[in-house]
Amino acid sequence: MNKSTVVIGGGISGITSALELANSGFRVYLIEREAAIGGQAASFCCKATEVCTKCSVCLVPQSLAKVAVHPRISILTHSMVAGLSGEMGDFKVEVLRKPQYITPERCIACGICAEVCPTEPKAILPPSPEAIPYCYVIDERLCLRLRGEKCNLCQGICPTDAIAFDLKPERQELSVGAIIVATGFEVFNAREIGSLGYGRYPNVLTGLDLERIFNREGYLKLPTNGKEPKNIAFVQCVGSRDESHGYCSQVCCKYAMRFARLIKHQNPDAQVTIFYIDLQTAGKGFAQFYQECRESIRFIRGVPVEILPTPSSELEVRFENISEGKVERETFDLVTLSVGIAPRKDSWDLARILGTNLADYGFFDTKETFNSVETNVEGIFLAGTCQGPKDIPDSIAHGIAAAERVMEVLEKCQ
Amino acid sequence: MPVKLGLFLCDCGGSLKNIDFPKIRGNLGKLEDIAFVEISHNLCLEEGEKAIASRILRENVNRVVIAACSPALCEDKFMRLLEGLGLNSDLLSIANIREQCSWAHKGDVTEKALEIIRMAINKARLLQGVERGEVPVNKEVLVVGGGFSGMKSSLELSRLGIRTTIVERESTLGGKLKELEGFYGLRTSPNEMFASMTRMIEEDKNIEVFTSAEVARVQGEVGDFAIRIRSGEKESSQSFGAIIFATGYRTEILPQDFELKPGGNIISQQRLVEMLQAPEKLARRPETIGFVVDFSDENSRLPTLSALKNALAVKDKLGSEVYVFCKNLKVDSEGTEKLYREARDRGVVFLKFEEKPRIYGEDGRVTIEARDVLLGEEVTLLCDLLVAEEKALPPEGTKALSSMLNIETDSQGFYQDENVHLYPVASGRKGVFFVGGCRGSLDLGRASTDIASAVGSVHELLSPGGAMVEVEKVKADSQKCRACLTCIRVCPHEAIRLVRVDSERWVAKIYDLACDRCGICAAICPATAIKFEGYSDEQILAEVEAI
Amino acid sequence: MTRENKKIIAFCCAESAYRAADRAGRLRIRYPDNVRVIRIPCAGRVSVLHILKAFEKGAAGVLVMGCQEGACRHLTGNIRAKERVKYAKDLLKEVGINGQRVKMVNFGPDMAQKFAREIEEMVEKIKEEK
Repeated sequence: MNKSTVVIGGGISGITSALELANSGFRVYLIEREAAIGGQAASFCCKATEVCTKCSVCLVPQSLAKVAVHPRISILTHSMVAGLSGEMGDFKVEVLRKPQYITPERCIACGICAEVCPTEPKAILPPSPEAIPYCYVIDERLCLRLRGEKCNLCQGICPTDAIAFDLKPERQELSVGAIIVATGFEVFNAREIGSLGYGRYPNVLTGLDLERIFNREGYLKLPTNGKEPKNIAFVQCVGSRDESHGYCSQVCCKYAMRFARLIKHQNPDAQVTIFYIDLQTAGKGFAQFYQECRESIRFIRGVPVEILPTPSSELEVRFENISEGKVERETFDLVTLSVGIAPRKDSWDLARILGTNLADYGFFDTKETFNSVETNVEGIFLAGTCQGPKDIPDSIAHGIAAAERVMEVLEKCQ
Repeated sequence: MPVKLGLFLCDCGGSLKNIDFPKIRGNLGKLEDIAFVEISHNLCLEEGEKAIASRILRENVNRVVIAACSPALCEDKFMRLLEGLGLNSDLLSIANIREQCSWAHKGDVTEKALEIIRMAINKARLLQGVERGEVPVNKEVLVVGGGFSGMKSSLELSRLGIRTTIVERESTLGGKLKELEGFYGLRTSPNEMFASMTRMIEEDKNIEVFTSAEVARVQGEVGDFAIRIRSGEKESSQSFGAIIFATGYRTEILPQDFELKPGGNIISQQRLVEMLQAPEKLARRPETIGFVVDFSDENSRLPTLSALKNALAVKDKLGSEVYVFCKNLKVDSEGTEKLYREARDRGVVFLKFEEKPRIYGEDGRVTIEARDVLLGEEVTLLCDLLVAEEKALPPEGTKALSSMLNIETDSQGFYQDENVHLYPVASGRKGVFFVGGCRGSLDLGRASTDIASAVGSVHELLSPGGAMVEVEKVKADSQKCRACLTCIRVCPHEAIRLVRVDSERWVAKIYDLACDRCGICAAICPATAIKFEGYSDEQILAEVEAI
Repeated sequence: MTRENKKIIAFCCAESAYRAADRAGRLRIRYPDNVRVIRIPCAGRVSVLHILKAFEKGAAGVLVMGCQEGACRHLTGNIRAKERVKYAKDLLKEVGINGQRVKMVNFGPDMAQKFAREIEEMVEKIKEEK
């Protein structure tokens, strides 16, 4: 019986599963498509005002740091699952690792390579501050060498010989007892709703954009002129509870309210309005927070139908005010679309390789209701948002739950 | 043994150009207790580690200071390296000269780097090292509550080979499973589930059950909780390694929320379920049924789910007209939106209010008046039955148990403090877990996830062969301790107890497995009797001394 | 020597403020170089003694940096720290030192800008007093 496990996806659910298994004595291969683990939640920001508002984002770097140094966890970045054979207790997982040019095991993030890179903008980028592994990355589209020219500056100067260009994709086979799928979600592409102007008007942002702005800058500024916005609107249910996404994304009401409070906290003069259909305010630790929100944030039951720029480069929102029963218009200087959680478009490829089923709308399907970690294939389990929308605490719980199920089946098979 | 210190400086591939490393070496190399100062370019790589290892062995140093990148990045690596060399890994001190020095400032920062390294050296001189040892743990687990969550926790633990004891207050197991009508989307009925789980528990040699019993006292700490179980007049004591609380929730119609007292035509969800189980016994088929949710507050996932489920059951079994009054439909649980859509398609009418509806009873019928925000109009509905929302509340005894455990409840009175570090199921007291309804996970999906994560955490905690811990990393000096109880009062992890040293004296003892190494006790002890090795007063002040 | 030549000691909780300080470095956010960070497992480890000793040894300011209220990994560590900072403030006032030279600050681990800002503010405060 093989007691090692492959975890596909290095987001919060995947790393939670990996840690849980590794701490219980199992060997774990963590397969990550990107150059660094951490997934979506690693790019989110702490939303505390003067007190913690329970967004749980701070739990991510903590777990990441533990995964990075765990002796029983091997992290395979730039990798994906290319094939599967065998059965529970004896799976053979074929992993394809794309060349990374800068070897994470050798890169010490000194940044000397980026200094000498001759392109503008630079073809070598520093890792995001919490990236694990903390390793520089080469942008294939900008790198002269990878575009066929003769540049060799970075390779020549790298003090640790971490850079190599003549790399080919590598295939390796892992023998494992069980597999956890934790591939996460895609943020709904707000461009699909053209009338809301995302991608066309720079001051229309998504919730994810806001996460990244706060994560990078620490405060909110208008993309157009860098000033602090004064009048901000949030539009709920963008890409949730509609015909092609017949589910509630579970996270958007909460993040919108937390952002609204954070904005008010940083700039008490700002006016924040939230347009909603049904506010999702239940859940541990949220009822009281919602009551506090009601004191300083304007809630309008209504659905914006169109966003247009005004001559003074503000944004006019036309919305149906349900409570008042009429169509109204109001101007804001920043509109945030609270985009929902959508299944990853490549789930289908992975599901085909693994032989697992996909459910409604494209999330991974479970064997039975209320057993949200088991799939139709014995020995393959689900963790986190690849199975359906979840917030960070729920994703963590799900990650542990999947790990527990793996321990159970592998223990039993012995 | 005199201190013999080895100092490694890493210039990160030569990139930390605003620090003059030879100058630092010249300056610090003169210190008497420093055996050597080695400048390296890549301590964190394999060759760097090899260089460290050979130098340490050659010079036979007993303290190591490394000036390099952030300890968040490199500390574990170097600690393991030291361990591999047979040195105690706590004899290491790291100076963060990259992230918090070279990268944080423009211009030459040699002076700052020098000072940071001096701080680390000062600290290193006082480091004593901590042994690792195994603490024996009791592998049996106490499960409090024998409803769905308690039964399932026990069964899952049993499958991992862990023995459990269930303590249930009622005379039979099952809790709410015995009352529910059905689960949406699940073919198994709650009754069948109850029957099969009870049968599995009866047959399971790993599970012992006490019914009509309660927990009378909780003492001790993870690995060895001393529990007194009261069953009628009898009391028994037993030791457990961990405790899972699965005491569920209770539901109640809050009379003050309704103009009319429940009874007559205002009924509970539970009463409706009973009616639906035997529709033939009804004297008259109700023509119109109203449901009200979000009436008392908006923490209404469970009432919403019950209303949707029961609305569909009414459509199936009675064919009545159904109206659901709510403020914000709570659809943020798996499958609820689907349920809502189905209800809507089946003709259930949803009305949304901002102001609380007014409810009157007359002529054996109930009138609901509300302003529906979707229509923008006042709506008056005359219905035969009004199904009131049942608020989920913490079960009786939660307060008593939580004060016995010295654990805070959340703002609604459910178990588990609202601190994200405890999510999903942990508590400040290591080895104590909360699952399902009693911590506010009211839907079956979330409860199931809770259970699995508690079981996983217990398994990790009580891993085979006992737990490896740092022995007496935080320690109360029995000579200095005056048993004033201050540390016991402030410890957020309930890791300190008074123990008897002789017939006269009691002193504080810090339990290694329960302690989470925060140092709150060490900072407050009036007798300065508590020493936190690595962060002792002397060690912290030695760092301060270097400025 | 440093430009200001007046040191600030920052006791940083390893879970939050210390990460924020690391992050500031990684993002190359510059802040005055007269801060000396002492890494501690929790703000609750800092005692009144540590704060007073820091001043005795010549620090011009002391910052105690912990997690956000309600987010302490040890539940109450940051609240304890807050109480102690307040107590130290009062003691300092009694001996004629401006109480503003000691401050409790709460952090999320990603608040690099805030870390830099707090150091700058403390430096300003000390300058004003000169």
